[in-house]
Amino acid sequence: MLVMQRREGESILIGDNVEIRILAVNGSRVKVGIEAPRSIPVVAREVQLVRTENIAAAAVSSKAVAALVANLFRQGSPETSRQTSNTSDKTA
Amino acid sequence: MPQCLTKYHGEMDYDDRATLHFPKGLFGFETETRFLPIERADLRPLVFLQSLTTPDLCFLSLPVFVVDREYSLSLRPEDLAAVGLPSDQKPVIGSDVLCLAIVRIQQGGPTTANLMAPVVVNRQNSKAIQAVSLNQEHAHQAPLPACEELACS
Repeated sequence: MLVMQRREGESILIGDNVEIRILAVNGSRVKVGIEAPRSIPVVAREVQLVRTENIAAAAVSSKAVAALVANLFRQGSPETSRQTSNTSDKTA
Repeated sequence: MPQCLTKYHGEMDYDDRATLHFPKGLFGFETETRFLPIERADLRPLVFLQSLTTPDLCFLSLPVFVVDREYSLSLRPEDLAAVGLPSDQKPVIGSDVLCLAIVRIQQGGPTTANLMAPVVVNRQNSKAIQAVSLNQEHAHQAPLPACEELACS
C-alpha cells in the first residue's frame, strides 16, 4: 500500500479525475472531501462490506436454512443463549 | 388481521403492531422499509426478518448476545437519532432496543453473523436501522459459537 502523509487542506490526485482532500482533522476523526466523476461509485468500505454481506445472506436457500435450524436445534444451546442474553452475568 | 406471504412460513396472519419500520431500508435493500420479525418457539433464539413487500426476502438473525455475550453497542449519534433514540446516551440492549445480527449461511463455509452492522430496533416506536458499528472489532463475519461447538462434537 502506498502511504502518503498529508496535512489539513492538502490533496491527493488519483488519475486525472479524482481528487481526495483532507478537509479537517479532529482527534481520531478525519474529514475527507472527494471529487470524482459520477460514474465512479464512492462508498465507505464498511458500507460496501455490509451491502455484500446482506445480499449474500438474503440469497440463501430454504434447504440451507433448514440445515442450520437443525444444527442449532440439535445442539440444544438456545436456552442457554437466551439466558445469557437476559443477564449481564459473565461468570457462566 | 393483515396477511403476508413469507419465504419460509407460507402465508401468515400478522399483527401490524409487530412490524418493524426501517426508514432507510437495509444496506443493499434501501427500498425495503417494512419487516416482520418472526420467532418460532421451536427455533429460538432465531429471528426471521421477513420483508412485507417482497415475499422472497427474508433474513435470518440472532440476538447479538447469542453471538457475542459481551457485545456492546457503539453507534453514531445520527443513527440513534434516526430511530428516535437520544443521541447522547448508549441504549441498553434488551430494554431500550432489540439488537439483531444478520446471519449468513455460506455454501461449504462457516455460518457467520454480522456484528459490524447490527439491526437496532427502538422498542418504543418499532423504528429500526441497520447501523455500522463504530467499534472496529465488530466483524462482519463473526463465527457462530453454536456452530463451532457443533463442528467439534
